[in-house]
Amino acid sequence: MSRLRTLPKARDRISFLYFEHCRIEQDEQAIAVFKGKSKFFVPCAAISTLLLGPGTSITHAAIKTLSNNTCEVQWVGEDLLRFYASGRSGSGNAKRIIHQATLWADSIQRLKVVRRMYLFRFDDPLSDDLTLQQIRGHEGVRVRTLYQHWSRQTGVEWNGRDYKQQDWNAADPINQALSIANACLYAVCQAALHSVGYSPALGFIHTGKPLSFVYDVADMYKAKTTIPAAFEAVSETYFNLDTLVREKCRERFNEQRLMHRLVQDVDRMLGFGDDEETEPICFLWDDVLESVEGGKNWAEE
Amino acid sequence: MVVFVLENVKPVLRGELSRWLFEVKAGVFTGRVSALVRDELWDLIAQKLDHGSAVMIYPKNCEQGFDARILGNPSRSLVDIEGVLLVKV
Repeated sequence: MSRLRTLPKARDRISFLYFEHCRIEQDEQAIAVFKGKSKFFVPCAAISTLLLGPGTSITHAAIKTLSNNTCEVQWVGEDLLRFYASGRSGSGNAKRIIHQATLWADSIQRLKVVRRMYLFRFDDPLSDDLTLQQIRGHEGVRVRTLYQHWSRQTGVEWNGRDYKQQDWNAADPINQALSIANACLYAVCQAALHSVGYSPALGFIHTGKPLSFVYDVADMYKAKTTIPAAFEAVSETYFNLDTLVREKCRERFNEQRLMHRLVQDVDRMLGFGDDEETEPICFLWDDVLESVEGGKNWAEE
Repeated sequence: MVVFVLENVKPVLRGELSRWLFEVKAGVFTGRVSALVRDELWDLIAQKLDHGSAVMIYPKNCEQGFDARILGNPSRSLVDIEGVLLVKV
């Protein structure tokens, strides 16, 4: 465990790194990316999630090194369009997922979380007597105004969010850029949630999808990260749009201190008190005492 | 804060650098100078490098927290991958 403590915390890591059409191997206890005739060194313990696009191959040894350094690996489609699968990432205990599931399963507490998550997005406080349905209405207005604001700011034409999952090229550049930017944000949110042990499936606002909670969390930051990043990228280039979008996302993530805030904000939304980071001890559930120490023989009792 | 690592350079260059910086180990210089002085020092190194090599590392407000420059080492270069600096060989 002492070795683990030397790893950078999730909040100190570089948000993401995207590669496609390359070979990834272990190289002297580290990770190297081979592309054409060149080799790039990847500081895997300093990266939150490695996104692998089409045409990548990765060795067993490389995955093992990445896993040892708790760098999440996600396999994604072209331009990060679709998320396919992810590798394991490390959390030492199950405190957060238990806390999350407890709130999730209780409709009164769940509603409180939903309100907090919506309110987080508004600069001015909303009145307390609004129903969930009314808040949702306000949120719709907020998002619409936001798109219009950035459209005016950057001069990029905006005709509404419109994309077809089956036909990527049918979307206009700004919609493509938004999809790429959001995919980056989802990847980073998923990696952060994963790294501290929240479940990506137990969403509070979104529901029913394996990544519902990831969408909940990502929505909290879109206004200040992916939306401006996408509009700015489209206003600057049509050439290599995906690369520029990812670069702009990275700038915004850094400027918003996203990696620093993510886990902290989610803990606050869920009212999770981060007491001491204790060494993981396995407990056995008990109907009277709540939990008893595991790894112990209870035959005497 | 800035760090320079010089290899195979003339003593006169090291002498010039040590007027501003602290040579903690042969060829390794560090200290705190303004961005302007730092860039001027880098220009000076570039002019007097000859067959040597040099690296400069300095803090920057980006995700990595630093930026770096390399001169005179043909086998190694720094590349910007969508905003992240990686070493390429």
